Amino acid sequence: MNLIDCLKNNAERNPTKIGFIDEERKLTFKEMYDEVQRFSKNISKHIVPTTKVVSLISENSTSFVIAYLGIINSGIAVHLTPTNISETSLVNQVESTGSKMIFCSEITEKLGIFHADGFVPFTPVPISKLAEMTARLVDNEEVQVQTPTDVAYLIYTSGTTGEPKGVPVSHDMVEFTTKNIIDVLGYSETDIDVIPLPLYHSFGLGCLHTSIFAGSTIVLLKNADNLENILESVKKYNATSLAAVPATLTKFLRLDRKILDNCLQGLRLIITNSTSIPKNTVKEIKDILKGGNLATYYGLTEASRSTFMIFNEDSNLHESVGKPAPGVNIKIDDEHKGESEFGEILVKGKNVIKQYWNNEKADKNMEDGWLRTGDVGYFDDDGYLFLKGRNDEVINIGGEKIVPQDIEQVVRQIPGVEDSAAFGIPHEVFGQTIKLVVKKAANSDLDKLVILTHCMNNLEKFKIPSKIEFVDSIPKNEYGKVKRSMLK
Amino acid sequence: MVKEIFFEVFPTLAENNFGWEKEQKDYDNWDSFAQLNLITFAEAKFSIEFSLEESIEIKSARELVERINSHLK
Repeated sequence: MNLIDCLKNNAERNPTKIGFIDEERKLTFKEMYDEVQRFSKNISKHIVPTTKVVSLISENSTSFVIAYLGIINSGIAVHLTPTNISETSLVNQVESTGSKMIFCSEITEKLGIFHADGFVPFTPVPISKLAEMTARLVDNEEVQVQTPTDVAYLIYTSGTTGEPKGVPVSHDMVEFTTKNIIDVLGYSETDIDVIPLPLYHSFGLGCLHTSIFAGSTIVLLKNADNLENILESVKKYNATSLAAVPATLTKFLRLDRKILDNCLQGLRLIITNSTSIPKNTVKEIKDILKGGNLATYYGLTEASRSTFMIFNEDSNLHESVGKPAPGVNIKIDDEHKGESEFGEILVKGKNVIKQYWNNEKADKNMEDGWLRTGDVGYFDDDGYLFLKGRNDEVINIGGEKIVPQDIEQVVRQIPGVEDSAAFGIPHEVFGQTIKLVVKKAANSDLDKLVILTHCMNNLEKFKIPSKIEFVDSIPKNEYGKVKRSMLK
Repeated sequence: MVKEIFFEVFPTLAENNFGWEKEQKDYDNWDSFAQLNLITFAEAKFSIEFSLEESIEIKSARELVERINSHLK
């Protein structure tokens, strides 16, 4: 069963059920299926038959879903790009994919990224204009469907560092991963899922797939930072699940508790992702949810949803990302971890890509089906996985390996510290030493000696930063991960 | 002030075990990391920056004071 099969199945079983809601309209499963079919037929009239990839750049909307599924339904892979992509990155990605067409939303059309001299040799097509054209088509002949091993979508990822790599995800990977999500987290067609996460990322896209496979209703929101709108939508649609990054959950807790109780208590599930979640956030969100669950997962675009964690009362596990998903194998690279307790995380399973998109260098991350994730972590005695950071973020001081998060956690306890980031800097004797950048809280008169003394009292001596700098801001990606490469 | 740095970096150091002339080799736990910590504290406390050579050469509290003074002149 691929996504189109599932949508067709939903349209046949529950044709009048509202399956897709955005901030402007609602579509039943039947309406969505018909729109997708029309979209596919129209694409086939506008592109050359050898087209393998079509690009899509759009914020969350039902039109995004129509275009995404419509392209797939035409036997073509969808290249998904962030709406905030730079002109240069977009050009590079389009050239790399060999994409022959770009669909865009009306908003992204106005961003100006398509108007550079010498840009792509074709004009981006606003999704809405294609919809106008498709409205004139009346025949109901269905178009071709891809085979399981064909690429469903292609996302470029670089984590927080490195060259962007194209990650082609096949239909059978989507099916495997989505069935795991449904089985582990208990999704069903009675669910109403609020998704403020961008669909052009693996987290949000996986949520869309889950709703389609489960036959539930998805509510698509455009802005993950509009907390009031998220809470209102949960309440308005009697949502049963919400997907949000940890930073959103932490921000929720600054709002009035009565509002949170009123809006969130009906949820059976909040799913978040593997950026570290403060223990206190886990505790307080669980308290608000009463009988509902807070869950997280660990995964990459290359190996989506490799673990799952449903938080229980055991606070010792509140920083774990859980156990491997069914059918997924995870191991720690013991060979290179040396004396440290952690090593690089390797993943193998049907959720893992076979290779990157035309990128032999990146393919070296794959060894006998095992994907080297670049993340470091360890298993506890009960088989729970704990993340420690990125392999390329590990600081090696004279043979002592340190993950920056160990230092940052301690520094953030100091009154007057709003945020901090640690990273390695070259040192002639030690190889590397630690530099710490600190963003002070407003009106704080914190000085470096206070930080050093606190570190001295709470960290091993090889983890004491050798340089400290106060900064106005710490660069982060949209999931809240520190962009350390920009600090070095 | 330099004495305070020594008690920060060597928290188990007793008052009567501190000596201005006491050398690195006479401390139980003055290893290369402790050396790095001493330099880091001194740089932060006096808003100065040592060269690598200076950092390596300091072997006693007295030498640390002399190096600091040379930067403050």
